[in-house]
Amino acid sequence: MRAIAAGTILLATLASAQQGTLPAPAAKVKQYVTYSAEEQNLAAGKKSVIALQFRVADGYHVNSHTPKSELLIPTNLTLQPDAGVKAAAAEYPAGTAYSFSFEPGEKLDVYTGTFTVKVPVVAQAGQHTIAGTLHYQACDNAACYPPKSLPVQLAVTAK
Amino acid sequence: MRRALVLGVMVFGVALLLWAGWHNLRERKLAMQKARENQVVLIPEKQGEASAESDELAPKMRGKKAPQFALTSLDGKKVSLADYKGRPVLVNFWATWCGPCKVEMPWFEQFRKQYGSQGFEILGLADDADAGKDAISKVAMKSGVTYPILLTDGKVQDAYGGLEVLPMSFYVDRNGVIVEQTAGLGSKDQIEANIKKTIASGAVAQAGGL
Repeated sequence: MRAIAAGTILLATLASAQQGTLPAPAAKVKQYVTYSAEEQNLAAGKKSVIALQFRVADGYHVNSHTPKSELLIPTNLTLQPDAGVKAAAAEYPAGTAYSFSFEPGEKLDVYTGTFTVKVPVVAQAGQHTIAGTLHYQACDNAACYPPKSLPVQLAVTAK
Repeated sequence: MRRALVLGVMVFGVALLLWAGWHNLRERKLAMQKARENQVVLIPEKQGEASAESDELAPKMRGKKAPQFALTSLDGKKVSLADYKGRPVLVNFWATWCGPCKVEMPWFEQFRKQYGSQGFEILGLADDADAGKDAISKVAMKSGVTYPILLTDGKVQDAYGGLEVLPMSFYVDRNGVIVEQTAGLGSKDQIEANIKKTIASGAVAQAGGL
């Protein structure tokens, strides 16, 4: 009986040790854009481009990086500085034209579906994890949602 | 039986150890997993977009007393909901970056003129006070709005149930009760029907209650 108890305790300890390596759950925030994390393998010390792929939930749109009105909130990516990865300014795709059905005359410049933000970098040899945030503001066909920040994490391996 | 159990637990333990070793060897994989974990936690859409959506749009405040507020108007005056006690009031939250909000604002202005004689008033609460007074004022003017536009203080949004959607409107009757709450742009007819309902609600309570 004791052996079983000891075994169970061992198992429980192992299980919790493994769990400890997982990140704590973040506060529940409703997001309209998702980030597809993809490991980036680069040549060390050379100019390379990191591509971050995002997906706007079906039925929603977000303003592009260059919306047509100063009142609109642009989609913007910020990456935290990393000692091993020198990053230049992010490059954003062009948006597509969109109009609300109730306001056909006003053309907006938006992202829908997937869009990719590219960041030119020079990475030192090794493995790096870069944290960043995508700031965006989404609407659907009849309502808008307050600006959101989507955390992103990039795993970069340079050889 | 006991031996079999002990053996079972041991085999499982060894298997788990092997798995743990394998798991820890792949640090990069874990980093990726971390990034993906984040993704899963942060994006509840997959678990039922429809239900999350309906929660958000559920009129949580309907039937409740309208929370009091005292805010500064664009012309620098202190305006509180209590100033309109005994009158039907439409409390409308909007923002300069919200396209659908700007569509209904001219309708509100029209209905205010139409139903003003029955005491009806509209208060437009700009949810994006950080846009600055000038930008808010410009948008209000462009929409032809003459009803009071108030600058929010970050607290009033929470008092009204947190604003996850704009536009968001609260129809407050003469007794200070929220008789209707709407999220997103509705039709002009629907807005007018809500206004009529709000005016009537107070009137009935007055006639019956006093």
